[in-house]
Formats: sequence, structure tokens, C-alpha cells
Amino acid sequence: MADLLQFVITGITVGMVYSLIAMGFVLIWKSSGVANLALGQLVLISSWITYAILVQAGLPPWLGVPIVIVIAFGLGWLIERFLLRPLIAQPILSLIAVTLGLSYFLDGLITFIWPWSVDALPRLFPQDTIHIGTAVVSQEYLWAAGISLLLFTALTLYFKYSRMGIAMRATADDQMAVQACGIPVTKIFSRSWMLACAMAAIGGILMASIGGIGHGLIDTGMKSFSVVILGGLDSFLGAMIAGPIIGLVENLGGGYLTALTWPGIKEVIPFIMIIIVMMIKPYGLFGEVRIERI
Amino acid sequence: MFLPAGVRNYSYAQDMAIFRTKTQWVLLGVLLLLLMVMPSFLSNYWLSVCNIIAITIIAATGLNILTGYCGQLSIGHAGFIAVGAYTSAILSGQLGMPFLLSMLCGGLMAGFIGMLFGLPSLRVKGFYLAISTIAAQFIIMWVIRNWSEVTGGNIGLSVPTAEIFGYSFTSQASKYYLILAITVLVIFFAKNLARTRPGRAFVAIRDNDLAAQVMGINLFRYKLLAFFIGCFFAGIAGSLLAHCYYGFLNPEFFDFKESILYAGMIIIGGLGTSVGPIFGVILIRLLDSILSLEVVPFLETHVTLFTSGWASGLKPMIFGAVIVLFLILEPRGLAHRWQLFKTSYRIWPFSY
Repeated sequence: MADLLQFVITGITVGMVYSLIAMGFVLIWKSSGVANLALGQLVLISSWITYAILVQAGLPPWLGVPIVIVIAFGLGWLIERFLLRPLIAQPILSLIAVTLGLSYFLDGLITFIWPWSVDALPRLFPQDTIHIGTAVVSQEYLWAAGISLLLFTALTLYFKYSRMGIAMRATADDQMAVQACGIPVTKIFSRSWMLACAMAAIGGILMASIGGIGHGLIDTGMKSFSVVILGGLDSFLGAMIAGPIIGLVENLGGGYLTALTWPGIKEVIPFIMIIIVMMIKPYGLFGEVRIERI
Repeated sequence: MFLPAGVRNYSYAQDMAIFRTKTQWVLLGVLLLLLMVMPSFLSNYWLSVCNIIAITIIAATGLNILTGYCGQLSIGHAGFIAVGAYTSAILSGQLGMPFLLSMLCGGLMAGFIGMLFGLPSLRVKGFYLAISTIAAQFIIMWVIRNWSEVTGGNIGLSVPTAEIFGYSFTSQASKYYLILAITVLVIFFAKNLARTRPGRAFVAIRDNDLAAQVMGINLFRYKLLAFFIGCFFAGIAGSLLAHCYYGFLNPEFFDFKESILYAGMIIIGGLGTSVGPIFGVILIRLLDSILSLEVVPFLETHVTLFTSGWASGLKPMIFGAVIVLFLILEPRGLAHRWQLFKTSYRIWPFSY
């Protein structure tokens, strides 16, 4: 039973970080209809940038982390301006393929600058363990979960009350109408990419400070796809709820099924979940079911 | 159908022909002759580059049927290629099945697995389907990595050389002829498929699947058929890759990045055209071999400005940039450029 509680707590907390990254995906999908398949690479590259700033340049975290987030904003702006803007109104296939090309490019860029491919970030959070019932949990996970939750709240408030947030929601609802109202749609696209990159960066920092930097972070990004599929592509709430579910299933499955099947089942459970969700409820828990007309 | 001025058809057979004019027949003859004599001037390295190009053309043609004609985006093609490669290698290596039969079984197995993962295509499309094929890739590779009693796991699996009726394909040139023959057959099949009933159904589904259904096209049948054919070719390519190119198998050959590259190749070539995959594959594979043979080792030794090992990042960067630039600058791919070239050649010296 001690194991069970342990798996549940680790799963839910890690899942919160998945949620955070997944929300970046949902943001872009909602506002511009682009599926960002380079999510994993964005997570990885931003944790390497964190490494460059905190370790290679030696800045303290209170200064370094905000700089990373600013760089992530810049990266998002660049991607939107030079890759996505020329492709507005292209078929979905091109939009998916361009982010795949981007992911390939970023993969190369990461090898180009940091060829050694594995390293560790300085620990940002206290590592003392906390005893919850019979489970022993590292404090880091709780910090990560707390930060994700905080950001989720902040984003919700942003969308609810700020001018830009309301404009973004309006764009998601009806692009044409928004344009007719005089809201600059391209600015909204670029804002959503910037925010999404920042979320991927924060997710990357949280994951990397716990588990180190490595190609596993790309898989973290990939797992976020299962979060958005389960939660529904166009629902923030869905992403927030589905993240812990995926984390939970992944950790429980990893804990109990490894003995029955093969090692590494933890890594494929999110993908198996994708297939199951596709078969049963293709638009996810909270996704909008689109009615098609000819 | 697009015809040069002055070409007339006098019978239906003439109208249906793929090669219509004498010039086209002559050019085809010259091309085939050139391909036949190629082994006599190329070194073994470049011959093996030709082999990988031809094998990749088979797989990309399959993907083009699935994605280009039928519009079902698949980003898990390397996974299906792996299924074919491993099935064929295990059947011929451990059970002693003859090569041709095991290749066919590899293709069929990949086709069925493809159909299985194509099932969600009946309910979802676009991005959702892309994700489910990514999931397919990861699940397939996980099984291959871990089912080590059969697949050799991460250590890999040695594969017997191809052998047909006692003749064993050991030299690079003999492999080249074998692969060339299969590639020509596959291209011919794909070219003709586009003009048959299923081919037209695929195009209708791509353009609007709901409208296609209303017009009486059985979506269930044709979408799964597209998955089957696309993955069948992937399996055949995988089998050739195992028996005639690598000689052993390792899960790393069928990485997710390889899948992205396949999707990139058909986009660069031009989706939904029969020459597109050929151009795209040749461009990417040639770029690949030139970079890894000449450019990367040269830069690695001569430029010491960056951390050692940096040059291995160049290849993915260039591939990614090529895919992105093609999408932005020429979304219709090289096939469209080829069409423009042909047209301007025909009407030269006039501009239109």
C-alpha cells in the first residue's frame, strides 16, 4: 500500500507539469488552429538555455529564470513570425509538417550547441523529503505541482480579465468576426506562441531541475500530446484535469505492470492511452465535438 | 489530361497509356538503360547510396498513397517499416523461409498493423490522426525494443542475405538490380493505382471525406485500404532494408526522426503526384550522404570554434530547414517545379 500512495502522489504532481506544457499546446491550437508538434523540442531547448544561463554563465536562479522566460518569449515570437505567419490559411497538413520540420531543426540546433546531450541543472527547490502518510515524496515534486497550479490560475485570470486575454478567447471563437472588430489577429497568434513557449520553458525547467537534462525531456513533451488528446484539444480545463490523470496512469502502470510486461512500459502508457481515447471518445473529455457540414 | 500540342489519340488504349509519345518511350528507354549500367561506373559506396534511395522511394511511395492521395497524415512510417523489416528478418533468419516469401509476409504484416492503427482514421482526421500514428510508432518500437527473445532487443538482430532460387545477393551490384526491379514495379503500381477506382476514391476522400461518403464511397473500406497499401509498401521497403542494405537490424534505424523525415520527403517532392516522392527522396538521401561523407567530417576536423561533436547537429538542422523552407516557399514541391519545367520546355521559345 505504501507503494500505491507513492505512485499516486508522484503521478499527480508530475502530471501537473504535463498539464502546464499541454496548456501551451491548447493555447496555440485554440487561437490559430496550429498543432505544435515541436513541443518536446521546445521543452528540451529551453532547459538547455536554462543550463547555459545558470551553469555556463553562472547567474543566480532569481535572475536567470526570468531571463530564460524572456528568451522563450523571443523564441515563440521568432517561430510565429518566420514559420507560421507565411503559412496562414494553408491546409492543416502543412501546418503540422512545418512544426515537424521545426522539431527536426531544433534537435539539430541542440546537438550543435550542446553536443554532450546529458547534463544536470542546479537544484532549484529544496530536496528534503516529506512524509505523507506512508509515502515519501521529494519536496521538488510538490513545488513543481504548486507552480503549475499557480500558473494555471494566473492564466485563467489572464484570459478572463485582461484585454489581450479576452481578445485571444474571441479569436479562438471566431477569427473572422474578431478581424472585423479590428483586433489584430496576427498579434494574437504571436502572443499565443510566446506564451506557449514560456509555458514549455517553465515545464522544462521544472522537469530538468528534478530529473536532469536529456532526451527524456522530448518524451515529456510527447506525453503532453496524450494530455491534450485526453482532455480535448481546445479545452484548458481538460488539459489541467487530464495531466494528472495521465501522470497517475503512467506511474501506476509503471509501478504494477512492469513486472508483468517489459521494462519501459511507463514510457508507452501515454501513447496507449492515446489510441484508447481515439477509439472510445475521439474528441477527449472536454473537447468540442465539431459537426461537419459539406 | 495534360498533353503537348499536336499529340492526338486514335484509340482508347492510346488515351489510357502512361507513355504516349515516341519521345517519352525513348526517354524511358534511356533512363532504364542508364539505371542498368549504373553499377559499372559507381563505387560501392555510391551504389549503396543508390540502394538506399531506391528502398526509400518504395517506402515514400507507400506513404504518398496514404498521405498524398488519401490525405491520411501518417508520422509513424518508420514504425511500419520496422514491422516489415523485423517480420521478414525473423521469418527468414529463424524459420528459414525463402526470401521472397518472407518479404511478402513482412509487407502483409506491416499492412495489417497499419490497418490496426488506421482504425481511428474512421472517426478522426487531421491532427488527431497524426498523433495516433505517432503513438503507433512509439508502441511498435517499444515492442521491438523489449521483445528481445524474438527481435534481439537493443542489441539487434543479424539478417541473412537475400537469396532467390539459390542465387544469393551478396555483391552491391546484385543487390542494386534486385532493389531496382522491385522499385520499378512499385512505382508502376502506384502510378496505375491513382487511375483506378480505389485511387479516385482516395482522392475524393482527401478532398472531402464527408462529401465522398455522401457520394457512396465506402470510407471504412477505402481508408483502411489506403493504410494497408501504404504500410504494405513500407513493409516491403523494410524487408529490403534488412536483407539488402543493413544486413542486421537495430531499433535505432527506425527512430521517430526517421518518420518525420519520410513525411518531409514526400512534402518536398510534392504530395499526391507520382514523381514527387522520387524527387524528394533523391534530394534528401543525396544531401544525407554528401553531408555525412564529405561536409561533416571536414568541418569536424577543420573548425574547432565550437564544442567537439557539434557537426553532428548540422544534418538535422539542414533537414529541418529544408522541410520548413519548402513548405513556405514551394508548398507544391519539386514535382510542381518539374511540371513547370516541362511546360516551358514544350512551348519554348514562347512564354505561353
